[in-house]
Amino acid sequence: MTDVYTAAPTLGLRGCECCGLVVSAPPDGRVVRCPRCHLSLHLHKPQSLQRTAAFLATAVVLYIPANLLPVMATASVLGRDTHTLVGGILDLWTSGSWELSVIVFIASIAVPLLKIAALVLLAWTSQQRSRWRQRERAGLYRLVETVGHWSMLDVFVVVLLVGMVHFGVLASVEVEPGLLAFGAVVVATMLASASFDPRLIWPLPDETERNGPMQRRLAAWRDRRAHRQGGAVERA
Amino acid sequence: MPGPSNAHPTWRPEQPGAGAPHPQPRPELVVCEECDAVYHRQTLDSDDVLRCRRCGATLDRGHWLSWDGQLALTLAALVVLIIGSLSPIVTLEMRGLRSVATLFDMTRLTWESGDELVALLSAATAFAFPLVVIVLRLWVLVPLLAGRRAPALIPAMRALRWVMRWSMVEVFMLGVLIAVVRSAGVTTVVLGPGIFAFGALTVMVTAMQASGMHGLWEHATEPAP
Repeated sequence: MTDVYTAAPTLGLRGCECCGLVVSAPPDGRVVRCPRCHLSLHLHKPQSLQRTAAFLATAVVLYIPANLLPVMATASVLGRDTHTLVGGILDLWTSGSWELSVIVFIASIAVPLLKIAALVLLAWTSQQRSRWRQRERAGLYRLVETVGHWSMLDVFVVVLLVGMVHFGVLASVEVEPGLLAFGAVVVATMLASASFDPRLIWPLPDETERNGPMQRRLAAWRDRRAHRQGGAVERA
Repeated sequence: MPGPSNAHPTWRPEQPGAGAPHPQPRPELVVCEECDAVYHRQTLDSDDVLRCRRCGATLDRGHWLSWDGQLALTLAALVVLIIGSLSPIVTLEMRGLRSVATLFDMTRLTWESGDELVALLSAATAFAFPLVVIVLRLWVLVPLLAGRRAPALIPAMRALRWVMRWSMVEVFMLGVLIAVVRSAGVTTVVLGPGIFAFGALTVMVTAMQASGMHGLWEHATEPAP
């Protein structure tokens, strides 16, 4: 038994990302249909990097109005105030609940920015077919997928405040245009990470690598090293 | 076991002119969804998590709930979601005025304040998508336990996979807590049944989605006994 990981396509296999079934399939790029869930099984998600880049560009552009425009307005007999995302965090901080202000800061400022940065890094290194820190990049991808939807927090908070605080002229909360931009940033980053194909982190040995025995040995050694560092299949 | 011991290609090129390739199922194998590494399938106990040695992704999980238990949990989640969305989440009091907030009111008020898209986005992710997740699971599980195959099983399961991604009950729950704290400074806040319903729903939805979809796919598409 060998320690070198052989990717499914080179064994004439393909795994279905929808239902998990493994099927035999031609090792070339031909598309087959999963017999169980009827999903088309591609070697990689089609146009993965282009789609990721397009959604990322959308997110970056919308991030500017999301942070500059007010996301909500509070109206009372004393007048009308508009609040930006950062303003809401400062309000929470000064009103004494600094723990919540940290949570909101993480969810609405830090997570979207880090998500965009992480996806740019993942897309760029995959475009280069890089073998740099593959395991860490795989972990980064899973992190982005896991925390992605938590940025929707601020959208919910404003909608909840609108629903909770409606005392007519005495006090009310209204939605401002920045919130739509922010919601769109969250949706765009979620679509970007859904479009990214993590299998691109692990490029198959391409033609140039397969040509020389040295390159082939180097690739095998990298895989063995990755395995040694990888630990075992764990049973919790 | 890192991979199948026989590293021979299992795909035999078909005869020239044989037409489209016919994929053959290999149920004894598991392929990592995130890096394409190949493993032999292992039977898992209820607490086991099988991880890919190469990239660390979760390959498979043991099931800690029987299919009966899954159905009971899904039914309970449906009841709790209906309670949560119809009953007040919080009631605010200010100088003798009371403001009762249900999920429906919030969506309506946001819609009326001119932000239809925001209203749709929040109503979809906090209420509609979780509801669709629950309904689709019932759609698949109820006939299954009666020993039949659900009608339109494959479209239903494919839709379930998509909609699970966009259901955000747990984020909504945290949003409720933050909104309560932010308004507690100015008004008196009385917690309603809705907030507890959404708290319970958060736990239920997490438990429902914990074991993943692969087991359900296997079970649902097995030939009926």
